[in-house]
This record gives sequence, structure tokens and C-alpha cells, in this order.
Amino acid sequence: MQSNSHDAGRRRFLTGLAGVTGALAFGKAYAAPRPVVVMTSYQGEVMDRFEAAFERAHPEYRLNILWRMPHDALPWLEKPEQGGVDVYWAASPRNFERLKKEGAWRKLGVDSAGLTDKIGKNRLADADGYFRATEMAGYGFAVNTSRLAKLGLPVPADWNDLTAPKLAGLIALPIPSRVGFAPVMVDIVLQAYGWEKGWALWSEIAGLSVLVDRGSTFVTDEIASGRAAVGLSIDFFVASAIANGSPIRFVYPGHGGINPGQIAITAGAPNPDGAQAFAAFVLSEAGQRLLADPDIRKLPVRPAVYAGLPADYPRPFVAAERGAYDYDESVGLNRLTLLGQVFDAMLIRRHGELVGLWQRLHTAEAAGKDMSAVRRELCTPPLTELEAADPALMRLYRDKVEGATTAPGDVEARWNALCDSHIARAMQGLAEAVA
Amino acid sequence: MKRSRWLGLAGLILIAPVLADDVTIADASREAFSQPMSGLSETELAAFMRGRTLFRQAWVVSPAQDIAAGLGPLYNRLSCIACHAKNGRGQPPETPADRMQSMLVRLSVPGVGPHGGPNPHPAYGDQFNEEGVPGVPGEGRVNLRWDEKVVVLADGTKVSLRQPRLVFTELAYGPLDGALTSPRIAQPVYGSGLLDAVSESTLFALVAETKPDGVKGRVNWVWNAAKGGIALGRLGWKANMPDLRQQSAGAMIGDLGITSPLFPKQNCTPAQTACQQAALGPQPELSTAQLNDLVAYQAHLAVPARRDTESPAVKAGEARFAQMGCAVCHRPTLHTDAKAADPLLAGREIHPYSDLLLHDMGTGLSDGRPDFMASGQEWRTPPLWGIGLAGKINGKVFFLHDGRARNYEEAILWHGGEARVARDRFAKLGASDRMALQAFLDSL
Repeated sequence: MQSNSHDAGRRRFLTGLAGVTGALAFGKAYAAPRPVVVMTSYQGEVMDRFEAAFERAHPEYRLNILWRMPHDALPWLEKPEQGGVDVYWAASPRNFERLKKEGAWRKLGVDSAGLTDKIGKNRLADADGYFRATEMAGYGFAVNTSRLAKLGLPVPADWNDLTAPKLAGLIALPIPSRVGFAPVMVDIVLQAYGWEKGWALWSEIAGLSVLVDRGSTFVTDEIASGRAAVGLSIDFFVASAIANGSPIRFVYPGHGGINPGQIAITAGAPNPDGAQAFAAFVLSEAGQRLLADPDIRKLPVRPAVYAGLPADYPRPFVAAERGAYDYDESVGLNRLTLLGQVFDAMLIRRHGELVGLWQRLHTAEAAGKDMSAVRRELCTPPLTELEAADPALMRLYRDKVEGATTAPGDVEARWNALCDSHIARAMQGLAEAVA
Repeated sequence: MKRSRWLGLAGLILIAPVLADDVTIADASREAFSQPMSGLSETELAAFMRGRTLFRQAWVVSPAQDIAAGLGPLYNRLSCIACHAKNGRGQPPETPADRMQSMLVRLSVPGVGPHGGPNPHPAYGDQFNEEGVPGVPGEGRVNLRWDEKVVVLADGTKVSLRQPRLVFTELAYGPLDGALTSPRIAQPVYGSGLLDAVSESTLFALVAETKPDGVKGRVNWVWNAAKGGIALGRLGWKANMPDLRQQSAGAMIGDLGITSPLFPKQNCTPAQTACQQAALGPQPELSTAQLNDLVAYQAHLAVPARRDTESPAVKAGEARFAQMGCAVCHRPTLHTDAKAADPLLAGREIHPYSDLLLHDMGTGLSDGRPDFMASGQEWRTPPLWGIGLAGKINGKVFFLHDGRARNYEEAILWHGGEARVARDRFAKLGASDRMALQAFLDSL
């Protein structure tokens, strides 16, 4: 086990004296706060706010934040005694499930009064009490309404509204295999519309899109500037930009989905009391209210907190009652990385050509030509849903979590070849159609 | 090179009748400090965005699969943005028990250190790093306590001024007896490329000018790590950094423990054995390309344009600002070097409200810690551009190097030394003039 650098018991406890005006110290006996080691992948704004508020509420503890993306967090938490970590707090459902199976958690033991265990088809609390959602993020569309109005298009209400040919080059699409939140978005469409129709939708949407990679522009940049009219995103990025003055809107589609951020206390926690105090704070009314900070803008899991939030703050529990969150994240849990790779093979790898093909197809259809055969070629994924559910294939991908990179292997090569043949036939079909 | 007119989101929120140019942006939103200059080419914009990602990136402990690995072994915060929230200024802790989230404490001992700079503390180095990676004890904890005193203005208004005391606890590497300390909040980032582009000859001319009220002003001479020689200082609270590149690389090693081609050695003193033995990933932890992007990001953050410039109160305040002598040091206008390396930043008239020179600010503001040529009492005139948006963007605002001033009034009343005459003129103003001055500063 890694030693804990901030273990006050092992630290020399000296009151040093220095300063602009001379040597001074606390007036009473000083007890060093005990560290609570929190591993997380939340953005700085989240951790800064929670760090300050928690330490003020619990001066007996000090947060020690170990930041790691989910794919880097996993091996650390698989170390003996979970590598000295007390709390894992992240939006990585796969890590929580996997580490539960490996016995990495202890029961959370936080009072659940006022918390709910489910939203839509999604569980917010582990059935066995090992972890619990602390916040949610929803998926949808960042929109530039004036840009859409100039195109004569309504604000999209659902995913199939994103196939309007007028949107060509005006949809900002995060690359699912590269941008952490995006694989769930792929699965939302596949679950909502079915495998075949879902991939068809994705092909057409991708054909109208500009790609957004990790470390480049933000979807909100593209929408606010008017370079794109619609951006596919998770809500808090956009909501935070709006709260900071960006003239854009966010729309939750009819078929939505949420990605829960969860919290767990490790089995080997060096400071279980501190860990529990932190988890309880995050889930408390005070902690949940912090989520509405303009620089955070995530969705609280404590329903009562919404009563104190602005009228225009999203109400996911209300939306769930009308079926907006029928996406079942437990179904997608093991296939998200696989979906990202299929998306790469089918829609990203030859994206430039795909854009051209869809443009020509739309032009031909506008001229009244039957392009259904070409559509079939462009819309057919390299494997069926049954094949995607093959346990051997699932095994290849299920352990690769957010941020993991995968070297192309035989499977991807096969998909690439299939997609290439679809594209070749689509090209041929288009050539014949306009001949 | 193709240049795109980059319409940042803020460009859509025109507030003031001030025309933005391609390095200034008419934006009064909470993102006003975060916009790229509009004159960037597509290539420059791509570098800006990569730099933005790095600036926001939380660095992780090595070994890791992450591209941003190498945090520590000793450090203050996980990311640049943690201290420079929304590219704005830092602030001191709200209560004595709170941790420093966006300020730090510089350390040294009497004497001159390598290259003529501060002499690092033998056990703690030149900056107090509260955090350590697992297995490496952080250096300890430092808290701020405040001593208050009341000053009375000519019209009887009482103003409470506070001065910080540092309290060190949990010191992991022995006592800090005799250490020279300087608590400093993070400085705003926007506009730093333009300041970096002000020529030496401009600064020499400013030094040579005859100034009223006993104001002098001089340049700092500092170490340029890239050139291996002495250079004129432009950036930092003490003008102790020669350029934005060294400022950035210095913050990466000093605040985050990230090595770079400019500072390839880890930040461990000989007394910090666990630090020296900590596992390291590939070195340097920040590549040349990444450092280039980080610099490009900061250099190309646009300066927010002034607002409400036609307001009578603002105009009256601006006149008072000049009449009191504030503008002697807080120079409204400077010009960047026509031959500056970055064409976008070259040959521009800019309005930083700073002369970038060191001035003796009196004993009240002294940190007692020399920094190259700057004495404890000398501070570089901090630029005031964008200051009127600081409250909106960073929440509560605090001014001066250690964030002791809670508003403009307190900041002005702390001025001493060369600024004493101007400060005394302010103390004699009536309430309406003071409000006009505030309106002017709010317009910056």
C-alpha cells in the first residue's frame, strides 16, 4: 500500500514562525486536520468548491485530491487497500461496478433520507448499498437559435430532427472514442431507436457534422460563435456557459439519458470516518446546492434541492416522469467502449468522405431520385446487435473505460474492411444515380 | 497565413460603445477574461485551444497513462486554472482556517541566490508547497490571519485596513525560522502577451521621464533561463520574470511541480529525500510543444474592452484619477514593440494602466523580501485593465499582492512611498469624488 503523505500522525508537527510582521501562531493548541484522500476526475471548479465547503463544514478533516481519469483511476484502486484512497468520486459507472465485484468498496452507510434510488430506468443507488449517485448530467443539444432561424429550421426536439440536410456542416459532434462523455450519447440513440435505425441516424448526423476532438474547441465555442447551429453535448458544459453569459440554449431531447456521478468509500479506507463525512456532505442539502454553482451546473440527486433552484434550472425528476430518461445505462455499461470503436470505424475514420457522400445523397434525393440503396450502404453498421452482444467480443472491450486508448486489432480491421466496402458501394450507387 | 475573424461568444454581447479591436473584446460576461483575440489565424486559434486545455488540465501523479502526468512531487494546486480562476485574479482564504486555494507564499533566506535572485530556503526552496504526492510529505500548512487598523479620511469616513500574518503549521522539513516570506495571490492572465511585447526602450524612456510627486520607477533586472543571462523583468508582482514563457514554465515547476525544457529539474531541496526519490515519468513532463501552446493561450487571451466610458461619473472619475497623480504610474497607454516576435501583438497601442516599473510603495506594503533588484518595498505597478469586471467574474475581489484590500478604497489607502502623495490626495476627496473614481475603475 502506498503510504499516505498527508497522514498527520506521521508528519512532524511543528508550528513554524514566519511572516511579514513577525512570528505568530494559532492561539490555542493546534490539532492537524486528518486527511481524506479523494480520487476523482471532476473538473477543477467542482473540486475547488467542494474542497472549500467541506473543510469549512468539517475542519477536523482536510481533503487530499488525487485526480485521475477513469482509465487511470482503475489500476490505482485495484492496488492493495485501494492505494490509500478513502473515497472514489467520479462519473464512471463502469469503474464503480467493476470495483464492487472486486470487493474494493465498503458499504456507504450514509443516511438516505430525502434521496431517491431511481430516476427513469436508471438506478441512483447501488442495490447492495456500496455506492450512490451524487449528481447527474443529462445529454442533449446546445443550440444557436438565431442560426437555426436563419436556416428556417426549428429548434430540434429529438435526435431525428438532426438529419435535416440544411444542417450540413453545422452540427458539432464530439468524437465518442476521444471525448469522455460521448459514448453514452451513442448508446442513448441506439436504445431509443433500435440498433439499425440508431446507427442509420448516427451515420446521417455524422455526415452533417464537424468533429470536435479532445483538447480542441469546445462545443459551446462552436455554437456561440455561430460556426455550428447545434452541438451534441452533456448538459453541464452548456449550462455553465449559459450561466456565464453565453447566448446559447440547451435542449433536452425527447429521448434523453443521464450519466450519474457516483461516490464510494474504499474497503481499505485509511480514514473511513472522514470518508463517510465527505460522502454525507456531498449528498447533503448544502453539498447538493453547490452543484448549481454557475461554474458547475450539474443536476442534484436530492429532489428537495430543486425547490430552491431558479425556475429555469432543469428538473430531471419531472422529466423522468414523462419518460425522458428511459435510457437504461445498465444495458450500455459493458458496450460503451465497443460502441466508440464501431463509431470510429464507421463514421470517424473516413469522415471527410462520409460528409461528401451524404451531401451528394441529399442532393440526389432533393432531385427526386430514389437513393434508398445508397442509404442502406451508408447506414449499415459493421456488425449486428446480436454480434455486438457476443460475450467474447464484449470481453475485449468492457474493461476499457473512459479515456482508454485501444490499438487497432483484428476486430477493428474487420470492421474497417466492412465499412470500406459499404462506402465503396455507396460511391458506386451515387455515381450510377447521377449518371 | 489565413486569418479568421474569430467571433468569440462574448463578441455577441456588446455592452459598451467601445470599439473592440482584434486584441480587445467587447464582453462583460463572466467569460470576458477567457476569450481569444479575434485576430488569430486558424493555426494560432488551434494552438490557443490546445493551450486552454493544458491550462485547465488537472495534472496527475506519475506513473499514469494520462498525457498530463508528473504532478509534484511537491506542489500547490493541480492545475493552472485552480489559481487563475476564469483567467482572473486569485484571492486569499476567507477565514484563518481556510486553505490557500489561489495564492501562495514565496520563501527565501537573506542573501543572494543563484543568478542574483532570491536565496532559496535550504530546506523548503523558494516557494511553500503545501501538497505532496503519495509518499512525499507536503511542506506543511500556512494560514492567514489579519490585523486590522482604522484610517480616517478627511470627511470623517472610517476605513478599516487589514494586514496579513502568516501562520505556518505541520512543517515537515524543519523550522522556518528566519525565512523571508511573501504571500501572493494569482495575477490575471489576460493581456499578458501584450505586456510581454512592450519594448525595453519604452520602459527605459518611462524610467527617464521626470515625474511629479517624488515618483521614480525603475526596471528590475532578472535571470533569463532560456538565454542564460540577465534580462529586463516585465511580469510578476515584482517584475521578476523576463517574459511570458519563463513565467509559464516557472509556474509549472513552482506551483505544480511540472518540469519543462526551461526548468528540467524537479523542485526538491536536498533536505527533501522522499521528494528526490519519488517515481518520475518521462521527462520533461511538459514538452516544448505543450509549453508553446500554454504560452500561446495566455498571450492571446483578449483584454476586455472598457464599458460605460461616456458616463459622466466615469469621465469625472477618470479626471480625478489623472489629477491625483495615479496615472503617473498606472499609465493609461503604452505601445508594444513594433518588432515584437508575435505580429498580432506588435506595434499596438494598449491601455493596461501600468508602466510595468518597480516603485517603492512604502513600508506598509513591504514584504521584506528582495527579488532580484526589487526591494521588499518595491512592487511592479499592477495593470488595471479589466479590473472593473473582477468582481463579476471572480466573485469577491481582493487587491494588492496579498489580497489584503477588499475594495479599491483600501487598495489606494495602502499606497505609500512614491505613491504617498497620490494616496493623501485620495484621502482628502469627498464621497462623490470617491464614487466617481470607483465608477471609473469599474469601467476598466
